[in-house]
Amino acid sequence: MGLEQLLPAIATMTWQDLVMIAIGLILIYLAIAKNYEPTLLLPIGFGAILVNIPFSSAITQIDPATGQAVEGVLNTFFNAGIITEIFPLLIFIAIGAMIDFSPLFRNPSLLLFGAAAQFGIFMTMIFASLLGFDLREAASIGIIGAADGPTSIVVASRFAPNLLGPISVAAYSYMALVPIIQPPVIRLLTTKKERLIRMSTADNYNKKISKKALIAFPIVVTIVAGIIAPSSLALIGFLMFGNLIRECGVLNKLSLAAQNELASLVTLLLGITIASTMTADRFIRVDTLIIIALGLFAFVFDTFGGVIFAKFMNLFRKEGNKINPMIGACGISAFPMSARVIHQMGQKEDPFNYLLMPAISANVGGQIGSVVAGGIILTLVPLFA
Amino acid sequence: MAQTLEKTLQIAGIGIIGVFVFMTLFYLLILAIDKIFPYKEEANAKENSVKESTQNKTQT
Repeated sequence: MGLEQLLPAIATMTWQDLVMIAIGLILIYLAIAKNYEPTLLLPIGFGAILVNIPFSSAITQIDPATGQAVEGVLNTFFNAGIITEIFPLLIFIAIGAMIDFSPLFRNPSLLLFGAAAQFGIFMTMIFASLLGFDLREAASIGIIGAADGPTSIVVASRFAPNLLGPISVAAYSYMALVPIIQPPVIRLLTTKKERLIRMSTADNYNKKISKKALIAFPIVVTIVAGIIAPSSLALIGFLMFGNLIRECGVLNKLSLAAQNELASLVTLLLGITIASTMTADRFIRVDTLIIIALGLFAFVFDTFGGVIFAKFMNLFRKEGNKINPMIGACGISAFPMSARVIHQMGQKEDPFNYLLMPAISANVGGQIGSVVAGGIILTLVPLFA
Repeated sequence: MAQTLEKTLQIAGIGIIGVFVFMTLFYLLILAIDKIFPYKEEANAKENSVKESTQNKTQT
C-alpha cells in the first residue's frame, strides 16, 4: 500500500495548498497577536486551512467510488447563508442594534462626511475597470471602500461570488489597518494649522435628544430610502430594523440579543463560511493581489474624499466655525476606530483639542453612508450591466 | 474595455451624486424629526414615571 492510499492528503498536496495554509496561519496570527479584526480574521484564517487540505470533508468533494459530489458543510453554509444574503443581513440587524444615532442629531451637518468618504468606492471602481475587470467585478472590488464588511459581502456575493474571498479579506484587513492607513494620508492633505482647528461646540454635544425622535428616525429613513431606491431596502431596512429594536424601549431583551448573541453567532458562521471560497485554485491568482492593492487604494481615496470635502466646506464657513479637516476622514464606516484615530491625531497636535464627539458624529454618518453607497451600487449596476 | 469604462464612469458619477442626495435628505429628515419631536424635560420625566409605575406593577 503506497503513500497515496495511506495519506492521500499529503500525497496530493500542492505548493498552492501550502501557500493557502500559510495565509490562513498569517490571518490567525494577525487576529491573535495584533488584534486585527479577530472576530472575522480568525475564522477566515482557520477556514482557509480547513478548505485547503486535500480531500477536506468541510468542502464539496467528488467521491472517487461513486463519482458523485458529496457536499461539504461549508458549502452548505455558503449556499444557505451567503448566496441568499441571510448572514450579512442578520449582521446588519446586529449592527443597527449597536448604533446610537444621537450624535448625528447633535450635529447633523457632519452626516455629509458619510457621503464624501465613499469617494474611494467609485474611484476604485474606475481603476478596477481600467485594469480589465468587468462592470460587476469592478463594482464588487470598489465596495471594499465602504469599509463595511457586510456591505462588501452582500455586493460581492451578488455580482462577483468568485471574488468574495479576496474582497472580504481585503475589506476586513484594511478596516483593521485604519490606524496605519489614515494618518499619513491626512498629514499629506492638511497643514498643521488646519489640524489644530478646534471644534468646541459644547452646546451641541450636550444637547438631549427625545426618545420619539430616535424612534422615528429608523422608520422614516426606511420609508424614504425604500421609496427612492427599493433595491437598497434589504441593506438599509435591516440596519434600521435593528436600530428600531434598540430605540423602541420595549424590546430591550431582543436588542441585547441582537447586539450580543446574534452578532457573535452570525459573525462566527460568516467568517468560516467566507473561507470556503478561499481554495488555492480561486485565491492564488494575480487577480487576488490586484484586489488587495485596489482595496488599499479605496481606503486611501475614502480618506482623501472626506478630508478634501471638509476643506471645501471650510471655504464657506466663518473663522471660528471651521471644521477640522481631519474629521472628514471619519466619514468611513470603520466605527469607532476611525473616530478614535482622528481624536488621537488631534490630541497629538494639541493635547487640549477634543475632537472625539464630532469625530463620532461623522463616523456614525459613515456607517449610514456605506450602506447607502452599497444600496446605490446594487441599484445601478444591473441597469448598466 | 472602453465600453465597461464608460459605464463605470457613469455609475461613479451617478453613484457619488446619489450618495450625497441621500445623505442630504437624511440630514433634512433629522432636522425635521428634531423639530417635530423636540426633547422636553417634563415629557421625559412623565415617561420615566410611567416606566417606573409599569415596572412596579410587573414586580408585584
